[in-house]
Amino acid sequence: MRPVDIIGVGITNFGKHIETSLVELGGRVAIEAVKDAGIKPSQVNAGFFANMQAASIFTDFTVGQNVLWQAGINRVPVFNTENACTSGSSAFNLAWMGVASGMYDIAIVVGAEKLVVPNLGLMQAGSTELDTLEGLVVPNAFAMRANLHMATYGTTKEQLAMVAVKNRRHAALNPLAQFRTPITVEEVLNAPMIADPLTRLSCCPNADGAAAVILCASEYSTRYTTKPVRVAASVLVTGSYENPCNMAQWDADKRASGIAYEMAGIGPQDLNVVECHDAFTISEIVHYEGIGLCPEGEGGRLVESGATSLGGKIPVNPSGGLLSKGHPVAATAVAQIVEGVRQLRGEAGACQVEGAKVFMAECMGADKAGDVKTCTVNILQN
Amino acid sequence: MNSELKPIMEGIFEVGPSPRLHGAICPECNQKFFPKPMVCPHCLGELWDIGLSAEGKIYTYSILRIKPPYGLPQPYAVGWVDLENDGLRIFSLLDPERISDLDFGKRVTLRVGAIGVNNEGQTCLRYYFTPQDGGGQ
Repeated sequence: MRPVDIIGVGITNFGKHIETSLVELGGRVAIEAVKDAGIKPSQVNAGFFANMQAASIFTDFTVGQNVLWQAGINRVPVFNTENACTSGSSAFNLAWMGVASGMYDIAIVVGAEKLVVPNLGLMQAGSTELDTLEGLVVPNAFAMRANLHMATYGTTKEQLAMVAVKNRRHAALNPLAQFRTPITVEEVLNAPMIADPLTRLSCCPNADGAAAVILCASEYSTRYTTKPVRVAASVLVTGSYENPCNMAQWDADKRASGIAYEMAGIGPQDLNVVECHDAFTISEIVHYEGIGLCPEGEGGRLVESGATSLGGKIPVNPSGGLLSKGHPVAATAVAQIVEGVRQLRGEAGACQVEGAKVFMAECMGADKAGDVKTCTVNILQN
Repeated sequence: MNSELKPIMEGIFEVGPSPRLHGAICPECNQKFFPKPMVCPHCLGELWDIGLSAEGKIYTYSILRIKPPYGLPQPYAVGWVDLENDGLRIFSLLDPERISDLDFGKRVTLRVGAIGVNNEGQTCLRYYFTPQDGGGQ
């Protein structure tokens, strides 16, 4: 495998794009990324497009070819990828593999999603799954983890709320985030209850959005850019589905980050900035523990210490995270990588972590047997 | 109980005065499963059908307060239950009438009843666990 760099990125704001089609949203970021990379569309050797819900909401499928042609990319292999919340990072992992293997020199990854539609309802694992039929929806799956984490480690409701407060404070600095008004712990706790102990402000909102990156074999990247960002590790794992499963921790986070740290030759102490999958407040706390930012059970105390705030020891979700930006599912994990590239290029504006050299993007998708279906960890380095 | 009603999924449980969940065991690996997979995922051998314990303890739970799916009561509770003697942790609806009695480690008993609707919008039978009286932790 040869070294791979990111040489171009594109991103929309996350929020309502009612008048913009999925193809246009994706096309916009694909064009931006190609221009940012300083390449011609014909130099792209392969395209990887991620989307989760277009088939069920709009009966649109095989959308990637439509999106990429908006940016003048045709003839080359194009793959359409769905892997729940990690759809975008799964597409990224495939593109990285294609370039690292020598099959392609330049590849594009686009994640795009439109979820702001009336009466979308609650997300669940699929109407033929027994757990879904017995009443499992996404918010109560995370609420059960939150209750267990509180009972097992003494994590408090206030500490859970602090994740939402911190990420909203960060979002105030990010013009692309959907919700930017600061909130307090009391406001989070007193918001309408969704699934105890998670209130509306503890759950990420829906959003439309898109993001794109261009990957290039490192040997060629300086032809196009003076600021290539190295992909130091790209990992995707699946759950173990062993019974009984420990639901106070995410084993998949530990396995994926363990492999990624080994690939990159670093440890958690070397990270300068992290974007993680904060679909719910509890998620960010358990991810801290899973990727080794703190010992098991200490995640609540870590957020309370301020260590994961901008200006702290290891800022997490300086973009505002999904809790503030919203969660256009297949765009989310590509957007995390775009945030990382901007941090390492020193182009993150008011969200910038000074002198950031090592970035991790963690993402996780879908429940199965109390475990997860998919978990990705990508490490970027300057 | 109305015997005309369909179960939420065929072959998942036995209806009657003492309902049971239909599980499976691999005679080679001695591992139990619920619901029954096609073969043992560890050795790909044939599985034997078994009835699972109708008692267990709540591992974790939560209460959904917003508009429920499948015509379930609002609010309703779900949880993971550790089945006695089976070594299995299974996901289940919890008794909607007994939400205030739920707790970690609470002893619960299996029931089957007409709660909510299926994918076709018809009232159907679901399995659920209800807290045992006075049992505490």
